[in-house]
Amino acid sequence: MSIMEYNGGSVIAMVGKNCVAIASDLRLGVQSLGIASNFQKIFPVTDRIFVGLPGLATDVTTLHEQFRYRVNMYTIKEEREIEPETFAALVSSTLYERRFGPYFIEPVIAGMQRTPSGSYKPFIAATDLIGCLNFAKDFVVAGTASDKLFGVAEGLWEEDLGPEDLFETISQTMLNAVDRDTNSGWGVVVHLLTKDKVITRTLKGRMD
Amino acid sequence: MQTVDMQQLKSGEVNLGTSIMAVQFRDGVVVGADSRTTTGSYIANRVTDKLTHIHDRIYCCRSGSAADTQAIADIVHYHLQMLTQQSGERPTVHIAGNVFQKLCYENKDALSAGIIVAGWDKDAGPSVYNIPLGGGLFRQPWAIGGSGSTYVYGYCDATYQEGWGRDETVNFVKNTLSLAMSRDGSSGGVIRMCVITEDKVERLFVPGNELPKFWEGEEVLKLIAPVKKRHEFTDDMAVEV
Repeated sequence: MSIMEYNGGSVIAMVGKNCVAIASDLRLGVQSLGIASNFQKIFPVTDRIFVGLPGLATDVTTLHEQFRYRVNMYTIKEEREIEPETFAALVSSTLYERRFGPYFIEPVIAGMQRTPSGSYKPFIAATDLIGCLNFAKDFVVAGTASDKLFGVAEGLWEEDLGPEDLFETISQTMLNAVDRDTNSGWGVVVHLLTKDKVITRTLKGRMD
Repeated sequence: MQTVDMQQLKSGEVNLGTSIMAVQFRDGVVVGADSRTTTGSYIANRVTDKLTHIHDRIYCCRSGSAADTQAIADIVHYHLQMLTQQSGERPTVHIAGNVFQKLCYENKDALSAGIIVAGWDKDAGPSVYNIPLGGGLFRQPWAIGGSGSTYVYGYCDATYQEGWGRDETVNFVKNTLSLAMSRDGSSGGVIRMCVITEDKVERLFVPGNELPKFWEGEEVLKLIAPVKKRHEFTDDMAVEV
């Protein structure tokens, strides 16, 4: 079994009208044995940026701490909060530093980017395990159920979904995709970001 | 202990990851199984029927390679039909077990099949036979198998009692399979059961949302990012150097 599939887990981020959503499952397993149903894979970076880290569990923790350190250093030096696009570049360079002995994670980033006019626009991005950036306009997926997430998202996503509709769409995408994957599931958490708040919900899903 | 031998499955071959069991009770046997079939980590079928009719009052539970177990079950079904015609009476569960064993033992190098045979006959009444990977034949009052079974040996040892009636046995099977399906990634879906007695075979179905619930660690979930209202980020919050 591949290292990326050892612990299991999947993440997806989607763009809506003036909002973004990012969701992950909550499973931590050791191959087919499920260990924990409360394993957090999405972390707040700033008030307006969330990063999802599916892959090897030990690297989830390590990368979370690495990014926390680097973002804090950025905030101290720049005297302002980091923007999503800049954070994506930070993720990319952190991963490429380990080009020949990589972290086994495929990060997914979701945030609200400040525009020159002072308003916010939705931003999502994903990278592969060595830092290749993907700036999609619609959705990004990663993890053991990524193939299934692509399929369901392609079918359900449409442009300019409002916050409530985006929540429904991303929830259905996650729930149905992880139900076809043995290494993802055991609960789903969804974070919905708008320009002034974050709403976090835990979904009731299959526990098998 | 029975484990799914991944190396023996060819790439792309379909696998009955599985939790299966059969339990003998006063008037008959209850056989039960989950409903998940996997190809690697993809769930190819989430509503599989792993309880296969072998004869009027004999069923088997299949685990391991889907193709191998289907082929074996078909051959055993054929043999038992022949025996019925030739002898004029129903074959016993012991005979069915032996036919399975012959195939599984003599082809042990080529097969990946863990089978539980159970049923009712007039010689022995209810009986359960476990045929794990090597092809041995073991009669037991209750038997569990498949990759999910490893997680519920303790539960079964602690819970099983002799002398149960039909309903207590059905509950035992339901609870055991539910626990195994929860922990094992290769098991899941719905629970299918057959209650086999002298007069009839009764098929039971428990959908995913009606599975018995056990501890799911909900109280710990509150530690994850609670609902928060964000303050507007203003320049007043900039760091002064």
